Amino acid sequence: MMPNFHLWLIPLLPLAGAVVNGLLGRNFSKRLVAFFGLFFLAASLGLVWWVAFRFWSLPQAAIPHTEVLAPWIVAGNFSAHFAFYLDQLSLVMMLVVTNVGFLIHVYSVGYMWEEGGFYRYFSYLNLFMFFMLTLVLANNYLLMFIGWEGVGLASYLLIGFFFVRDSAASAGKKAFIVNRIGDFGFLIALFLLIQHFGTLDFDKVFPAIAGQPVETAGAGLLTAIGLLLLTGACGKSAQIPLYVWLPDAMEGPTPVSSLIHAATMVTAGVYMVARSNVIFDHAPDALMAVAIVGVITALFAAIIGMAQNDIKKVLAYSTVSQLGYMFLACGVGAFSAGIFHLMTHAFFKGLLFLAAGSVIHALGGEQDMRHMGGLRKEIPWTFWTMTAATVAIAGIPFFSGFFSKDEILWKSLSSPYGSRAYWAIGVFTALLTSFYMFRLWFMTFFGEYRGSGSHGYEHAGHAHPTLASAKDVLAEIVVPAEFVSIVMSNMIERSGMVVSFEERGARTFLQASVPAANMAHYEEWLREHTNARGTWSERAPEEEGKAEVLVRPLAMQHERPGHIHESPRVMLVPMVILAILAVIGGYIGVPEALGGHNRFDHFLAPVFRTAAGALPAGTPGAGEAAAEGTAASRSETIATGVSIIMAFLGLFFAWLLYYRKRDLPDRIAAGLGWLYNTVRDKFYVDEIYQAVIVTPLVKGSALVLWRGVEVAGIDATADDSAATARSLSDKFRHMQSGNVRSYAAWVAVGAAAAIAYMIWMGVR
Amino acid sequence: MSGSAWNTWILTLVTFIPLAGAVLLLLFPRRERDIKWFALFVSLITFALSLHLPTYFARHQPGFQFEINIPWIPTPNIHYHLGVDGISMWLVVLTTFLTPLCVLISWKSVHERVKEFFILMLILETALLGVFVALDLFLFYFFWEFTLIPMALIIGMYGHERRVYAAMKFFLFTMIASAFMLASIIFLYAKTGSFDYVTIQNAVRDGASFGISGHALGWLFLGFFVAFAVKVPIFPLHTWLPDAHFEAPTAGSVMLAGVLLKMGTYGLLRFNLGLFPDQARQNQSWIMVLAIIGIIYGALVALVQPNLKKLIAYSSVSHLGFVVLGIFSFTQLGVDGAVYQMLNHGVSTGALFMLAGIIYERRHTFDIKEFGGLATSMPIFAAFFLFITLSSVGLPLLNGFVGEFLVLSGAFQAKMIWGILAASGVIWSACYLLWMYQRVFFGKVKHSVNSTLPDLSARERTALWPASIAALAMGVAPVLWLSFIDPAVHSVLMPLAQTTAQVVR
Amino acid sequence: MLTAADYIRILPEIVLTLFGLIVMFVDPLLPEDRNVKPLGIIALVGALGAVAASIYQMRYAGPAFWNFVIVDNFSIFFHLLVTIAAALVIMASFEYLRVQEIRAGEYFGLILFGTVGMALMSSAVELVLIFIALEISSISTYILAGFRRRDAGSVESSLKYFLLGSFATAFFLYGIALMFGATGSTDIPQIASALRLNGAPLMAYVAFALIFVGLGFKIASAPFHVWTPDVYEGAPSPVVAFMSTAPKMAVFAVLLRILFVTEGPSLLVHSRPVWFWWVWASAAVSMTLGNLGALVQNNVKRMLAYSAIAHAGYLLVAFAAAPEAGISAAMFYAASYTAMNLGAFIVVSHFANAGERYVTLDDYTGLGRRSPLLAMTLTIFLISLIGIPATAGFFAKFYVFSAALKANLIWLTIIAVVNSAIGAYYYLRVIVSMYMRDATQEVPVMRVPVGVTATLLCSAAAVIYLGILPGRVLEFATRSAQSLLR
Repeated sequence: MMPNFHLWLIPLLPLAGAVVNGLLGRNFSKRLVAFFGLFFLAASLGLVWWVAFRFWSLPQAAIPHTEVLAPWIVAGNFSAHFAFYLDQLSLVMMLVVTNVGFLIHVYSVGYMWEEGGFYRYFSYLNLFMFFMLTLVLANNYLLMFIGWEGVGLASYLLIGFFFVRDSAASAGKKAFIVNRIGDFGFLIALFLLIQHFGTLDFDKVFPAIAGQPVETAGAGLLTAIGLLLLTGACGKSAQIPLYVWLPDAMEGPTPVSSLIHAATMVTAGVYMVARSNVIFDHAPDALMAVAIVGVITALFAAIIGMAQNDIKKVLAYSTVSQLGYMFLACGVGAFSAGIFHLMTHAFFKGLLFLAAGSVIHALGGEQDMRHMGGLRKEIPWTFWTMTAATVAIAGIPFFSGFFSKDEILWKSLSSPYGSRAYWAIGVFTALLTSFYMFRLWFMTFFGEYRGSGSHGYEHAGHAHPTLASAKDVLAEIVVPAEFVSIVMSNMIERSGMVVSFEERGARTFLQASVPAANMAHYEEWLREHTNARGTWSERAPEEEGKAEVLVRPLAMQHERPGHIHESPRVMLVPMVILAILAVIGGYIGVPEALGGHNRFDHFLAPVFRTAAGALPAGTPGAGEAAAEGTAASRSETIATGVSIIMAFLGLFFAWLLYYRKRDLPDRIAAGLGWLYNTVRDKFYVDEIYQAVIVTPLVKGSALVLWRGVEVAGIDATADDSAATARSLSDKFRHMQSGNVRSYAAWVAVGAAAAIAYMIWMGVR
Repeated sequence: MSGSAWNTWILTLVTFIPLAGAVLLLLFPRRERDIKWFALFVSLITFALSLHLPTYFARHQPGFQFEINIPWIPTPNIHYHLGVDGISMWLVVLTTFLTPLCVLISWKSVHERVKEFFILMLILETALLGVFVALDLFLFYFFWEFTLIPMALIIGMYGHERRVYAAMKFFLFTMIASAFMLASIIFLYAKTGSFDYVTIQNAVRDGASFGISGHALGWLFLGFFVAFAVKVPIFPLHTWLPDAHFEAPTAGSVMLAGVLLKMGTYGLLRFNLGLFPDQARQNQSWIMVLAIIGIIYGALVALVQPNLKKLIAYSSVSHLGFVVLGIFSFTQLGVDGAVYQMLNHGVSTGALFMLAGIIYERRHTFDIKEFGGLATSMPIFAAFFLFITLSSVGLPLLNGFVGEFLVLSGAFQAKMIWGILAASGVIWSACYLLWMYQRVFFGKVKHSVNSTLPDLSARERTALWPASIAALAMGVAPVLWLSFIDPAVHSVLMPLAQTTAQVVR
Repeated sequence: MLTAADYIRILPEIVLTLFGLIVMFVDPLLPEDRNVKPLGIIALVGALGAVAASIYQMRYAGPAFWNFVIVDNFSIFFHLLVTIAAALVIMASFEYLRVQEIRAGEYFGLILFGTVGMALMSSAVELVLIFIALEISSISTYILAGFRRRDAGSVESSLKYFLLGSFATAFFLYGIALMFGATGSTDIPQIASALRLNGAPLMAYVAFALIFVGLGFKIASAPFHVWTPDVYEGAPSPVVAFMSTAPKMAVFAVLLRILFVTEGPSLLVHSRPVWFWWVWASAAVSMTLGNLGALVQNNVKRMLAYSAIAHAGYLLVAFAAAPEAGISAAMFYAASYTAMNLGAFIVVSHFANAGERYVTLDDYTGLGRRSPLLAMTLTIFLISLIGIPATAGFFAKFYVFSAALKANLIWLTIIAVVNSAIGAYYYLRVIVSMYMRDATQEVPVMRVPVGVTATLLCSAAAVIYLGILPGRVLEFATRSAQSLLR
């Protein structure tokens, strides 16, 4: 008897959270908001773990295990159900998503505490979890598409969370639209599947395809489907050429960047490709396309990453680059390696963002690494967690990133789909990765602090054009008084004072940190800048000037180096946990060559078995078999050695340039000249897209289609024909001279005509 | 009344109760409050009654139901023949669903000649319902033409600056176009000796030609097509639409977008496919091309509209393009989707026009430049607007997606390239709607007026909630609707079966 | 030997004449300023009596006075039409006469006498008698047209109408003469049989042509329509209401009789009557010119004059169509047209006010607010003239078009259909000014008196009745058509 896991509850619980906070949240205390936000997610987290444990007891035959909840679309002989698909792959994804997601939710409570729209934020975040879990659990492509577009929506909402800021709003829109371009491909792929297989259910489509011959001879239907799916994946996972939205997405709050734009959503593309492994294994050309896109993206993004100074931008490009690795893995048929890296990446990249957030938090909105430095003593927790993550991603041996990346590199070489070129580029990218990550590390935590105390506040203006000035300073000061403020806010609430929580936040911080003397002034300020509807920080922009007035004196009070504070525990705990995972997370998948058993790979194997089956001799599976053979293992050891060397080389260069000889980078930059600028300006890709696609489209629509075809063409024609009729009528009026003689003449003429006609009829 | 009697007379009741209400209103004293409440009451009663249809509709029984067929005029042989199938039934419900919302949304926006306004609204409702339930060609044309007067008056009496121009344009365009339909109907009668849709359709399906040459049939097809194409409107006959939409008062736009345009697509489905399958097949390709042009063209023009309401109007052109595309794909999925998309568009675009009207009441402009940052001052309004926008963008789990997906996959099956070109629409709609949304709601409040705008009133929320819930329900549980639509569509497509076979190859 | 039946078969005419005389005699006995109402009531009674008489006739179908007159459904139909029209006009004229200071006695008298002629036209089957009847109706309308003596326009209109009218009737008379020469008879059935037996000499063709000219002028069909706008514009509105309906329809009756009764094998070309293409062209041109002309008129009366031309065109379409369906369609059209056009002109005449001052579109702006009754009824009439469903005009057009299509007149139908669509424009302009434009200047609206109200409601009711339940009237028309063709 099939066990019933009630899988549908897993996505639905967070949705409930989203609904509760979304509809009622504006009247909740922040505490309540946070409670609901975490509670429902925790519930579904628990459920996931429960499922995970029960999963082991499932007989192999029972996997994949599907649960049908209800029909969704039934038209003609096509149908798609709300049905959920549990197998090793979706289990792993669920675990990653819910765990990392939960940690970041917790972190957010601290990070977003002083933000306007606290409830909005958690409602969106839960909504995201709902869609992400739907995506992961779906048992058909259409349901997956719900999640697919839904996470896009959540990301749109969260990137644009500070919607008062035009840049944020635009970034959100850009993300959505660029993803739509990818989804366009996805949709077409779905249509092809429907047309040829009549269904989108995984458990029907995959067997059907598995039966088909591998399209080695030439590109065919499956290749087309594969390429179209890849388009979708490129959009969601920010691969070339659709990666442009991800760096802009950093406009969103940092925890969002961490959860959505590093740990989970952006990996959906990888998941989708891995999920469709059957299709790709039957379409080698499509598979190759995946690999090429991946490897090029990895390199390209890494190069750009080297020259960025905004801490979040560096991480953004790093994410793009790492996703490239995952694509490379899938592209060479090593799907499990890709998923493995996906997981470890979720740990360390998620952590990196959280840590970066904590740094920014500490510096009052400062994001420019050139104004950081020497922070390791100021914010030790952040420093150490960041360090763990950095070594992990850089591929320093025996940290998680090392295992997963090494696995990928090896497969890119050993797999029948692999090639030396992939490997070479991959390894070089590894060098760059380790370089830019340590560059970040050194610039942030070592040397002396390059941003004066007040720096943060001045820069706040640039970094967070609108909110920072008031909010971040505020936040920074409130941090120590945070828990006080929670209590107080609730006291105030119980005392029945009807005040928006933003005001409460502000009030409590005032009470916590302002000499009673100044209180009156601030009270007044608050009264005019907060009202029941508008939220405080959203108000801020119009009042930016005033806001400065508010924060300046407080800033002065903290005008000493020690003002840079470590983040509160609510933020540090998740970071620490992630740090641990980033360190040890790799050990579940230690490759054989390194004396491990690659449990992870074996665990996922069944999902990709079909793939293995479809492959010619010497497949990854076979590859592993061969890997036991000494020759292969030796070459793997060599490969591993090389990547280790690369990692340390990167570390060395970073140390040299950004610790030992600090003047060197500028000299090099100057030396490289335009080349450096090009890299720093991200190869002008955005500008090119703008010039080649966006501008022509808008201009063309406005001038040609609207002004031209519509107004001057169609409308004019309509009006002209009316005018013509009227002018005709006007001419006709002149027949009416009003003159009897002419009328008589008309009658006579008519008579003549009549007679003539009849006579003609008569004589014919 | 016994159940059967109900089933016989329900359509008559639903159709004419609004008219009766209008007549009663005529006798009302000019006390605005009473008039409004009475209009609301009547429209709600109608809605409630119309729910009888889906409740007692036998899904899998083919053909029309709730039929009533009594002779009306002996010569020519015109019958009072009403009936609905799974398609028209939902359009009836859509109409009765939107009318109360229109009454609510007009509560404050109509200041003068209130009485006339609500009388016209109710008359309009009757006419629209008549169009969807009539099964006698003559009766159909009767109602079809009759919708013109109240709509034109609503536009012309309560519209904005260029209302007269818009009303005239609307009236003449549809009038001239439907003249051809009249000619075709009469010709059909002259040859078949019957106005009865069912009779003629069955005859056609049995291959009877009534001595009408194929050539003549082609012209008949076009006669009907022109009338419907103008109503839909299909590119390039859409020029009346933006003016009409823009100038009309909010309720007018809602009815226009929500229901009137559907008359066209409904007609295409019912008559051009139902009566002239072969001709429909012969004309498929160029109509599909026009539909695709409409989708892309409408979207791109909408993209650059500086004016909120015009933007929504052009978005209608784009959305209706999808419907036509689905209908002429001749595939089960495509037509299912098309019908579903009719309902979606009614709900979403109807709601969009309501929202536009709400902001107009506050700022007396539709100029997008005048807005910006509204999310700060009107968060609830912004939330509703975003929700509806997303449903119109076609976000999964909201209504728009289901329709578009089915239509597109249908078109794709009909001919790959059609599906691909049309599918680009999903990108365009995201572009123009999200851009519009950003310009209206995001960013800082540029005009200080906007910073103090009152958020939605209870009444406005009452008007918006049903539409939003419908949008969600139709996205989550489309089965509820499709299970009625699907069989009906199937029977529509039967004569085209071999066509689809050919096309799908 | 004359029997009572003979007299019963001209009873309506007798009644009308009697009451006409009574009006004339009573007129001098009444004070100049307070004679409108009594005289009007007498006239009204007369007209209604005629209506009753026509209905009474139904049981006395058959020839009378040595086959000079025939009473059949056809004649009764048109009797009812003209007499009812007369009654309505009389009812609506009371106020007008007072406002325009028109001598009531002559006015009512002339209307009654004119009606005699019209009634006789529909029942007479002898060309000379028809001519006389035509002259009776024409002359009275000539005079009525000039009744606003102080107004130069009125006099001019009367004069034009008279000169051109007599010019045209001369053609008609000449046509009769030629027909006599060709067939040796002036009795329509005999002419028909003569033509059937020994074919149609060329002279007969010419005769037909001349008859067309005469009658075509009266019904204002192209190319004999030119007089219409000037005359209608100048003449007193109630008179226009009358002369644009009753006499016209009577003339149509005559045309129907002559054309369809005499139509025989000898007059067929490719199974179409010889006059077919002439009627076809005349119809097409009338519709087109009428609508085009009306398009830019700002004077409502003038606009309606052009619309009258267009409608004559639609009616002729029915002539071109198959006999039976055509005749019944034409008759139905006649009835509907009478109802809606009369109503429209009555509204105009009441709104025009003293000296017919307010007749332009600008005057009508905002009427919807100032006089809902006038505005609403006028809207109904206009909608009907456009041919929107639920009004008489719709079915009228519908029957005409379907008759035409039955006869495979595809192109003529298309021309007609497109025309009627274009025509919508100028009728709409009136509705637009009444409801959608705000008053430009202050136009005093006179209180709507009982008479006018009654007339308007009657005609509106008729329009709607014919628009929803056309069945019975059409049935009657069909039977009359059959009786005519028998």
